[in-house]
Amino acid sequence: MTRGARLRLLLALPAVALIFVFMVLPITNMVEMSFRTLGTTAPFGDSYTTGHYSRILSDGYYWQVLLRSLVTALLVTLLCLLVSYPIAWHMSKAHGFKAVMLYALIASPLMTGVLVRNFGWMIVTALNGPLNETLLGLGIIERPLRLLFTQGLVVLALVHVFVPFMVLPINNALRNIPPALVEASSSMGANRWQAFRDVILPLSFPGIYPGVILVFVLSIAAYVTPALLGGQMVSYMPTLIVAELNGTFRWPLGSALAIVLAVVTLICVAAFTLLTAKLMEKSRA
Amino acid sequence: MAAVEVRDLRKRYGSFLALDGVSLTAQTGQLVTLLGPSGCGKSTTLRCLAGFLDPDGGSISIDGSDILGVPANRRGFGVVFQNYALFPHMTVAGNIGYGLKLQKRPKTEMAERIADAMRLVRLQGLEDRYPRQISGGQQQRVALARALVLRPRLLLLDEPLANLDARLRDEVRWLIRDVQQESGITAFYVTHDQSEAMAMSDMVAVMKEGRVAQFATPREIYQKPVERYVADFTGEANFLSCTRVAPVAGGYDIEVAGAHLRVAGVPGIRDRAELLLRPEALSIAPDTGQALFQGRVEKLAFLGASQHCEVRLPDGGALKLAVQANRPVGVGDQAGIRIDSEHAWLMPEVRQ
Ligand SMILES: Nc1ncnc2c1ncn2[C@@H]1O[C@H](COP(=O)(O)OP(=O)(O)OP(=O)(O)O)[C@@H](O)[C@H]1O
Ligand SMILES: [Mg+2]
Repeated sequence: MTRGARLRLLLALPAVALIFVFMVLPITNMVEMSFRTLGTTAPFGDSYTTGHYSRILSDGYYWQVLLRSLVTALLVTLLCLLVSYPIAWHMSKAHGFKAVMLYALIASPLMTGVLVRNFGWMIVTALNGPLNETLLGLGIIERPLRLLFTQGLVVLALVHVFVPFMVLPINNALRNIPPALVEASSSMGANRWQAFRDVILPLSFPGIYPGVILVFVLSIAAYVTPALLGGQMVSYMPTLIVAELNGTFRWPLGSALAIVLAVVTLICVAAFTLLTAKLMEKSRA
Repeated sequence: MAAVEVRDLRKRYGSFLALDGVSLTAQTGQLVTLLGPSGCGKSTTLRCLAGFLDPDGGSISIDGSDILGVPANRRGFGVVFQNYALFPHMTVAGNIGYGLKLQKRPKTEMAERIADAMRLVRLQGLEDRYPRQISGGQQQRVALARALVLRPRLLLLDEPLANLDARLRDEVRWLIRDVQQESGITAFYVTHDQSEAMAMSDMVAVMKEGRVAQFATPREIYQKPVERYVADFTGEANFLSCTRVAPVAGGYDIEVAGAHLRVAGVPGIRDRAELLLRPEALSIAPDTGQALFQGRVEKLAFLGASQHCEVRLPDGGALKLAVQANRPVGVGDQAGIRIDSEHAWLMPEVRQ
């Protein structure tokens, strides 16, 4: 081994150790746990079974929760994209002080802790909260709106907090598109919409891609927001998993659910990556 | 086809006046070059023509009709950019065919016109490559084909050769000129390379700080510049201050560095004037009787086809001249300099 190679290995060591201790070990442990039998006196039993997986896969309830989580994450991602693109566009055109202010504004949802933020939503949207009071006072509504503990509020709150993860990479990608390309397209007869559709949108994909992946993964794994704002009536995969781990203390079942969620998420990410591989390859100038 | 008239164009960026009354014309089929140093407003002028920029004042008309209200995508001009501005996510054929696709041309017509354009710029066989998979020279030719395939009324080129190496630059330069002349397209061409401007253009506009210093044929720009700035920018030049100037029919009688001469010059010079002597208007006299000036050879550089020589005059002025390659001169020699007064040109002297 040359000195350079040894040095490189040495430099990689901290990262490898970190990943091993905080990722490989826990996941291995979790996979192992998911195959254990349930225990009566302890959170898990002594022997092994594939029963938890077959139970999850054959029980319609779990499918329903998984589907709800997927649809919610998809919706959050899509809404985030729709909300973020114009913001990113605006931001990519800004310079100096205006740009700094925009960055600060965009990052603001991340500046409050997750609990504070969600309690904030709870207070604002409560039946007798300021939002309903204001709307009632203005005569816009006659009866207070039931917003808290609805799926809609969960989606809204998640979009709110994940917008920065979409805006920043798209802004970055938009900034990398030379203005001359848009001018070139307009000299060839493209109107603003056509220039956007044919040039800007495809070339901003290197920003859309990480944004979509980040927001999707973050929202499908979100726990606190659905738990606090979604109420007791509807479960999402993360709330279900936590309930099994901390409520009923059926660790093997909780682990199996977590593994299922992780695998499904991974499949989604892989599918999206494969479907857009060609576009990605082309748009990476 | 298209005669263009630009009149008194003005453009301000904040408090900076980028264009301060630019006027130009181009007859149908002419190639007009905008020549000038960096920052003089060449691109700004071209971008106003293209419709990418709205001027603050002035007018641009084509065949008599004003186009300033027409957006860029309806002007029907072909534009070639310095950095090519090819769409990286489209193939060569996709880039060239993009405008045709927007016009919803039938498939067969599209294929035919793309093939024609590719043949014109000698790019056959590269249809399916992406811009990053072809060389700089090829990219520039794609950009040219892309601008030409729509049969534009006007072709606008902003330093199209700036990113190419010297040999490619020559090749693409002639390609542009050939194609432009064959198709009879009116063209505006931006460059800061004077030899490029001289070689290609029908008309040259030498620009200076947002104005046109002189608008004329390359020959006139070179031989009869209206001011020192133009002479300096269009080639190697010697300037000698005149001590006496008297207008006579068809020119001036002048006294310069102790010698008397009759030369042509810019009309209307009253008192202060300087004489422009291009290096090729000067030669070393075989015997001192024929010499107008006497001086000492100060610098000498062998260039292959000729020698570059600098002679210091007794009054402190210096003259640059080209000497035959095999002429025996050496640094420190006394030399008599002869001038070809047909190639001398008198200009008003501007005090710096
Ligand atoms: N968007 C802008 N904002 C402010 N000033 C600008 C802007 N664009 C150009 N300028 C200024 O206007 C002047 C003319 O610019 P222009 O691009 O036309 O120069 P140019 O002659 O094309 O120079 P070059 O040979 O370097 O391309 C320059 O001094 C430039 O700094
Ligand atoms: Mg320029």
